[in-house]
Amino acid sequence: MTTAGRAAWAFFFALTLTIIRAPAVQANTITIDDSGTTAFEPSVSMRWRTAAPSRSAAGNVMVGTTTIRVRINVMPWLRHSGRIYLSLPAQQPGTISLSWVTQGRLLPGQLQSGNRVLVYAGPITTPFMEDTLTFQFTVDGTLMRRAVPVAYHFEMDEG
Amino acid sequence: MTAGHPVRFSRSSLRRALFGAVLLAAFSSSAAAYTVTLDPAAPTTIYLQVGVGGFTADYCGGTSFPPPHDTPNCGPAYGGGTPENNATINTVSATVASGTVGNGTAQAMTTNSTTTNSYLDGYVFCTVPSQLYIGGFYRTSGATTAAANVTATVPAALTDAGGDKIPFSKIQWTSSGNGDSGAEPFPAGTFVSGGVQTVGSMASNSWNESCLTFSYLNNTVPPAGTYLGAVLYTMSAP
Repeated sequence: MTTAGRAAWAFFFALTLTIIRAPAVQANTITIDDSGTTAFEPSVSMRWRTAAPSRSAAGNVMVGTTTIRVRINVMPWLRHSGRIYLSLPAQQPGTISLSWVTQGRLLPGQLQSGNRVLVYAGPITTPFMEDTLTFQFTVDGTLMRRAVPVAYHFEMDEG
Repeated sequence: MTAGHPVRFSRSSLRRALFGAVLLAAFSSSAAAYTVTLDPAAPTTIYLQVGVGGFTADYCGGTSFPPPHDTPNCGPAYGGGTPENNATINTVSATVASGTVGNGTAQAMTTNSTTTNSYLDGYVFCTVPSQLYIGGFYRTSGATTAAANVTATVPAALTDAGGDKIPFSKIQWTSSGNGDSGAEPFPAGTFVSGGVQTVGSMASNSWNESCLTFSYLNNTVPPAGTYLGAVLYTMSAP
């Protein structure tokens, strides 16, 4: 093998190692099947946080509370350890704040849209994880012109 | 299929593969995000105060300015007040000295209203007895922007016991407020005798307030007497 050939082979080998190694560095995040989740109310009634407004329209926020029976399918990770996050992607109508309390199976927390927060870390011992979460959504009132769908999901970090 | 046999798919194994693919697709779609619908459903509310009003306490608590709480922390849950009805009818009056009647010099009118502070946060907004507080708010169910109108129903004239009259159009007002600059939600004006006139507009989802300073034009010479008349202020939301 010539010097140039050796260099090319070393570069190719290094590139191959890089390609092989890349997936091992990043945790594999998988959206968890939550098709068993049910909501107690069909929609979240958003109300003004205060009955009277401030001197300007700015700063007026609307809040709404809903209770959801969460049932997520963690069977694929049974008898393994996992880290489960509640993720609220950035979406319309704008910045959404979400806080929640739980019955204890998952962790309570709060986040803003575009982020995720850890709700469970530990061994997966049952095929399904269930909890009842009371969500409170907070949105700038100037954005709430009509009913808007808001999506969130649970995701598992593997590895 | 046993080892050593050529690799091929039988019809049944193809069917199983297809079935498996369908199952996988179904499993994948069930992992979609959960969706809730945020529905703006706040009750529409209005509040109008002319003169003294009715709040159990300042809405944002306390009587100091700036308020001790940020506005988002106002309201009953934070010890702030709640709106109430107040049936008081305040007066605005002027006594014209005999030597100046009809001389064309406007006569300042004073009110018996004691309201100086805004019920929002306790801010000292008006000065009594020279100014009459007018204010309130209009809450929509969501971000819908709309204005609520405030009108005055004005009789044709003020009358005395003998039936003598002074047209209501002889009364005008200016509008201001401590610390205010720019347009007032309740601008200056003159009463229109015998009609319903718009005297202000409240932008939705904001607190609107002004202080009105009334004066009598004093450019006619009516018979001596005490002239009375009542103006009714009405707030209308779409």
